[in-house]
Amino acid sequence: MTMLHIDDLHVRVAGKEILKGLSLAVNAGEVHAIMGPNGAGKSTLGNVLAGREGYEATRGSIVYNGKNLLELAPEERAAEGVFLAFQYPVEIPGVNNTYFLKAALNAQRKHRGEGELDSMQFLKLVRAKLGVLHISDELLHRAVNAGFSGGEKKRNEIFQMALLEPKLAILDETDSGLDIDALRMVADGVNAMRDPARAFVVITHYQRLLDYIVPDFVHVMVDGRIVESGDKSLALKLEEHGYAWIAERRVPDQIGAA
Amino acid sequence: MDAAALDALLGSSAQEREESWRYSRNALRALAQQAFAEADPATSVSTDIRARFAWPESGGRRLVFVNGGWSAELSDTHALGDTVRLDVDAAHITLTIRGGTEHPVHLVHLGIAAGSSAQWQATCDIVVESGAATIFEHHLGAAGAEVLGALVSRHCVAADATLSVATLSDLPDSISLYRRVRAVVRKHAQYRTTHALFGGRFVRLDLDCELADTAARTDSRGVFALRGRQHTDVHLDVRHAARDTASDVLWRGVADQRARGILHGAITVAEGADGADAQLQTKNLLLSANAEIDAQPVLEIYADEVKASHGATVGQLDERALFYLRSRGVPRAIARSLLIAGFCREAYQGEDASLAARLDALLAERLPGAAA
Repeated sequence: MTMLHIDDLHVRVAGKEILKGLSLAVNAGEVHAIMGPNGAGKSTLGNVLAGREGYEATRGSIVYNGKNLLELAPEERAAEGVFLAFQYPVEIPGVNNTYFLKAALNAQRKHRGEGELDSMQFLKLVRAKLGVLHISDELLHRAVNAGFSGGEKKRNEIFQMALLEPKLAILDETDSGLDIDALRMVADGVNAMRDPARAFVVITHYQRLLDYIVPDFVHVMVDGRIVESGDKSLALKLEEHGYAWIAERRVPDQIGAA
Repeated sequence: MDAAALDALLGSSAQEREESWRYSRNALRALAQQAFAEADPATSVSTDIRARFAWPESGGRRLVFVNGGWSAELSDTHALGDTVRLDVDAAHITLTIRGGTEHPVHLVHLGIAAGSSAQWQATCDIVVESGAATIFEHHLGAAGAEVLGALVSRHCVAADATLSVATLSDLPDSISLYRRVRAVVRKHAQYRTTHALFGGRFVRLDLDCELADTAARTDSRGVFALRGRQHTDVHLDVRHAARDTASDVLWRGVADQRARGILHGAITVAEGADGADAQLQTKNLLLSANAEIDAQPVLEIYADEVKASHGATVGQLDERALFYLRSRGVPRAIARSLLIAGFCREAYQGEDASLAARLDALLAERLPGAAA
């Protein structure tokens, strides 16, 4: 069954059209990689899926598990199973990481009509997830992302994903700024969560991440649209030829016809 | 209240107040146009109010004042210990501490009108001759008729001694309070203050601290959180008068709806006070287009070798942070509360654990803007 169906999506940010007719279908159990040059609109796609204000869909639709995603508030999307791992996780001094995550998980559970977890149950769950991700629990006692290194922030995103167990996880350049060990840790975290009921959209600039998180499909995004789709070999071709190769292959007629 | 009565209450003339009260002139004028009878220290105190200051952790070390007057009935001093001497002379109280305090002493000031508007004034001095003393100062009031209180203090910290004062002001909109503290900190002594100011119709805090001798130090932490038409005016004035003195001021202000906050932080480093280290930082958060906060940092340096920095900001809730929390499933209203509480909490990080827990609870209850 199609979990996410994006059709002819046009999105405007600060008066400028960034997505210009993007279409994408993602089924449960699949991993889709979205690649493309800077400014192609990759992060805009992540933000519009998560419901960020200021990202205005002017045309097209996003249907997620049979629901019009664009009508839902960010917190409703989260409760319905959508998760965005941020490219730049936000530092929030004064707000304790554990407290925040418990509030988030329980709000989601409440929305779904599930019972809230008490502190003991929550901590038990946290410990289980920390073990898998090799994250020190010292991270939990700190304020959300405050004073975290780049790598710690990204690992915290993956930890949150593991804890919240989304159905659709969007990773927005989670690999950027990571050294090879941190990259492997992030990939392990993602691979451990691969499941027939769960889908991933992995936005990345480089093919490197896809050595560790092997995608079922690779899409190339240029100027607000997907211009090429294929299997994982497409990522290797891109690595070899660069994005200029895609640009050369684009014929003006094709853009208009899409 | 006529002008002379107001001057007497505030301990200053209108002319003296001209500059430093300029943001509060209208608020003060409105008060001055009202009639205030003298408040009765024997006014009865409801069980509700009693429950709010009956902290188990301060049992036996609690001094309670009703409308400025000592209440023998409500106070409980059996565990005060022999390092603390209490002198009560009508509305002038002096606490003299020799050898510090083992546990905090809880000073409770209640403003309660019996029927019509009332005013009171009192003096409460604290002298620490030696050791490390901790005071919780607590302001509470009953809703109903208006009360205007004025509490003036001298805080003296002798050489090598430490005085920590945590002030919690949790007032209904019928209460106005003028709180003035003049502190003198001697050689190698430390004076630490933490203020959490919630509510009140009109609240003015003047905190003057003189670092009078070599290596004296003061740390000031504080937060105010306002809503409705509440008006709070904070004037911090630190004077480095000797060598190698240090000050560190960190305050937070939050205003919602039509509230008005003023946060004036002045640091003066006098001539000859070389080696002084002065840090002042205030951050303010506006939650509504009709709220206003005036942040004024002032730094005057007359010495040569000084390390000083100061900064003041007024801003709005960080939309990126709000989206981040919501994208994890936290509903908007709760996300706002978390962010506002987190912003305020920075002002009392590292505070005594039981007090911090009480401030957290109060913050959750009294926080402005949570429902917006």
